[in-house]
Amino acid sequence: MKKPLKIVTSNTLALTNFATAFALLLVGGFLGLVQGLNRAGVLEIVGGINYYEVLTLHGILLILAFTTLFMNGYLWSAVDYVLGGLTKGIRMLGWVAYGLFMFGSILVVIMVLAGEATVLYTFYAPMAASPWFYIGLVFVVLNIWLSGIGVFISAFRWKRRNKGAHLPLFAFFAVGVYVLITFSTMFVAAEVFYIIPWAFGWIDTINVMLTRTLFWAFGHTLVNVWYLVAVSAWYMVLPKVIGGKLFSDSLARAVVILIVVLNVPGGFHHQIVDPGFSEGLKFMHLFMSLAIAVPSLLTAFALFATLERTGRRRGGKGLLGWFWKLPWYDVRFLAIMLAMISFIFGGAGGIAQTNNQLNQVVHNTLWVVGHFHVTVGVAVVLTFFGLVYWLIPHLSGRVLTKKIHNLGIWQTMFWTVGMLFMTLSMSYVGLLGSPRRTEYTTYGGSETALAWDPYLLFVGAGGTLLMVGIVLIVYIVFHLMFLAPKGYTEFMVVEEQEEDAHKTPKWTENWGLWVIVAILIISMGYVVPLVDLIGNAPPGSPPIRTF
Amino acid sequence: MKQFRYGLTLVIFLALPPARDLLESVMAFHMHMQMMLLFVAGLLMAPFFQKHFGHIFGKYNETGLPGVVLFLIILLYWMLPRAMDEALELWYVELWKFISLPFLAGVPLRDSWKKISRTFEVVLFLVLMVIFAVLAYLYIFAESTLCNNYLMIDQQTVGWGFAFLVLCIIMYILLVLFTDQSQYFGDDSESA
Repeated sequence: MKKPLKIVTSNTLALTNFATAFALLLVGGFLGLVQGLNRAGVLEIVGGINYYEVLTLHGILLILAFTTLFMNGYLWSAVDYVLGGLTKGIRMLGWVAYGLFMFGSILVVIMVLAGEATVLYTFYAPMAASPWFYIGLVFVVLNIWLSGIGVFISAFRWKRRNKGAHLPLFAFFAVGVYVLITFSTMFVAAEVFYIIPWAFGWIDTINVMLTRTLFWAFGHTLVNVWYLVAVSAWYMVLPKVIGGKLFSDSLARAVVILIVVLNVPGGFHHQIVDPGFSEGLKFMHLFMSLAIAVPSLLTAFALFATLERTGRRRGGKGLLGWFWKLPWYDVRFLAIMLAMISFIFGGAGGIAQTNNQLNQVVHNTLWVVGHFHVTVGVAVVLTFFGLVYWLIPHLSGRVLTKKIHNLGIWQTMFWTVGMLFMTLSMSYVGLLGSPRRTEYTTYGGSETALAWDPYLLFVGAGGTLLMVGIVLIVYIVFHLMFLAPKGYTEFMVVEEQEEDAHKTPKWTENWGLWVIVAILIISMGYVVPLVDLIGNAPPGSPPIRTF
Repeated sequence: MKQFRYGLTLVIFLALPPARDLLESVMAFHMHMQMMLLFVAGLLMAPFFQKHFGHIFGKYNETGLPGVVLFLIILLYWMLPRAMDEALELWYVELWKFISLPFLAGVPLRDSWKKISRTFEVVLFLVLMVIFAVLAYLYIFAESTLCNNYLMIDQQTVGWGFAFLVLCIIMYILLVLFTDQSQYFGDDSESA
C-alpha cells in the first residue's frame, strides 16, 4: 500500500462542509424536538409555522443535508489522505459542489418556510410544492454528482500513477459510495424533472405511482449510502482506534461491491403495500431487498472477528473476556461501537418490514419512524459523531483535550439514552396503531388514541435528551475547530490486515464491470414495474395542495 | 464438485412447482430470470462434465466453436415466442427447457470459453447484442400478442428488458475494447 501523507491537504473545504453540516444539525434537531414535544401533547406549534412544515424541514435538513455534507467532508478527507492529496482542480470542483449545495438548499428551505412546499421530505406526487422547491433539489443532486466526479477522477489518476496496485481501501469505499449515490440520484433526478413541468402547470396531470417508484428507488438507496459511509468507518477507523488490524481487505472490498450492485432494487419494499403491483412481483422484490442482508452479515462477522482478536491480544480470556478488554472509555470507540450494536436491531427491524404481512401491520405508523431513527439516527449518525473527535482536530490542526473527550462520553450517553427512549416508544406505539406524520390529536377523545399518550410522552422525553446531545456535539465540533489547543492529531486509518487474511483478488478493482452488473440488476428490479406503470398508466392526478 | 452441487441444486429449486409457478407467471421472469438461471446452472455444472467426460469435449469441441454454435442454437430456439407457449402447455417441452438450457447451452459455452480467442469473445457478444436488439424491437413494437399465454404489456416489458441487456452488452464491449481487462485477472496481490 502506498505510504500516505501525514495531513489532509483540502482541510478548509472539509471543515466548511462539517461546519455547515453541524449548523444544520442544530436547526434540524431543534425542529425534531418541536415535533417530539408536539407528539407528546405538551407543545402546540404556533408562530406562523405548522407541524408539517416542521416535519418537512426536519427531514430535509437531517436526512438529506446533514448527511450529504458530512459524507462529502469525511470521504473527501479520506480520499485526500490515502491518495496523497487532491489537485487544485479537484479542490475547486469541491468548492463548486459546495456552492451548488448551498444555493439549492437555501431555495428549498425558503420554499418550505414560505409554506409553498409542505410536501414532507418524501416529495412524491400528488402533493405539489412550488416548482422552485424541486429546482432547489436539482442543485443538491448536482452537488452529489460533482463530488462523485471529484472522487472518481482522483481515484482514476492514482490508479494511472500506480499501475497494478490496488486502490487504497478507504478510497475504494469512497468510490463505492459515490457510485451508489449516483445511481440513486439518477432516479430522483428523473422524478423531479417529471414533477417540475407539472408543478409549473405545463402538464395537467402526473402518474402518481411512477413518482413514488422513482422516489423510493432513490430514498431507500440514499439511506443505504449513509449506511455504507458508516460501514467504511467501521472497517477503516475502528480497528485503528482499538489498536487492531483489518480482518480482511478482500472481504471488505467484496462487501462494498455487493452493497453497490445489490442495493437499488431493494427500494421497492417501501411500496410493498402499494396497490397496482402483483404479489409475484412483490415476492421477487422481497429477495432483492433481503439480498442486502448478505454483505451486512459479512460485515458483522468481520467486525466481531476484529473486536475479538484485538480483545484477546489485549489479554482477554475465555468466551467473552475479550469484550471487556476493548477501550470502552475511549469516546472514539464507544460511539462507533454503540452505533454498530444499534444496527443489529435496526437491521432486524428492516428485515421484518420487508415482509408483506408484517409491513401491513406497521405501515404508516410510528414504528417506521422508530426504525429509521435506529438505523440512520444511531447506526449512521453516532458513527459520524465518533469520527469528529479525531477528524475535526486533524483538519483544524488541533488536539482533543481530556475535558472535551469526557464531554464526548456524556454526549454519546445522552444520544444513546435519548434514542432508546424515543425509538422504543415509537416502535411500540406504532404497533398499537399510532400514525406517523400526524400532528398530536386524540381523535375527539378516542380511547385508542388516548392509550398512545403515555408512550408519546417518552417520544418527547427522548427528543429532549437528543437535543441536549445535539447541543453538546455542536459545541464539541466548533470547539475542536476553533478553540482546542493547537497540535497534531493522527488521521485514523487502519494500515495492515491480519496475517492469515487472503491476498486481495485483482478482479475487485474492475469498477467498470461492477457498474454494468449494477445496471443489469437494477433493470431486473425496475423494468417490470416501470413498464407496467407507464404502459397501464391510470388517469393522472392534478397537483394537490393540502397546505 | 462444489459448483456442480450448486448448479444441480439451482435446477432442482427452479423445477419445484412454487418456483416454476412464480417465475412463469410473469413473462419477463420466465424469459429473463428462469431461463437465465437455468443457463447459469449449466455454467456452474460444466467443470464436473469437463472432468468426467473430458474426452468427449476434447473430441467434439476441440476449437470451442461447436460449443458456441450449440449454445446459439439453443438460445435462438428459446427466444421464439412459440417455444415459450409450448413450454407452458406441454410437459415434455417444459422438460426440454430444463435439460436444454443448462446442459446444451450453459455447459458447452463454459467449455468453449477458454478455447476461443478474445476477438471471438467480442464477436460473440456482438452477435448476442444484435439478437437481443432485434428481440427488443420485436417485443416492444409488435402490434399483437406474440405469446398466447401473456398480455401485451408483458411482452413489452420483456422487450425493454432486452433493451437494457443490449445496453449492458454494449457497455461491456466498450469496456473490453478500451480497457486492459487482463490487469483484473492476474495473480492476487498484497493490499490493505
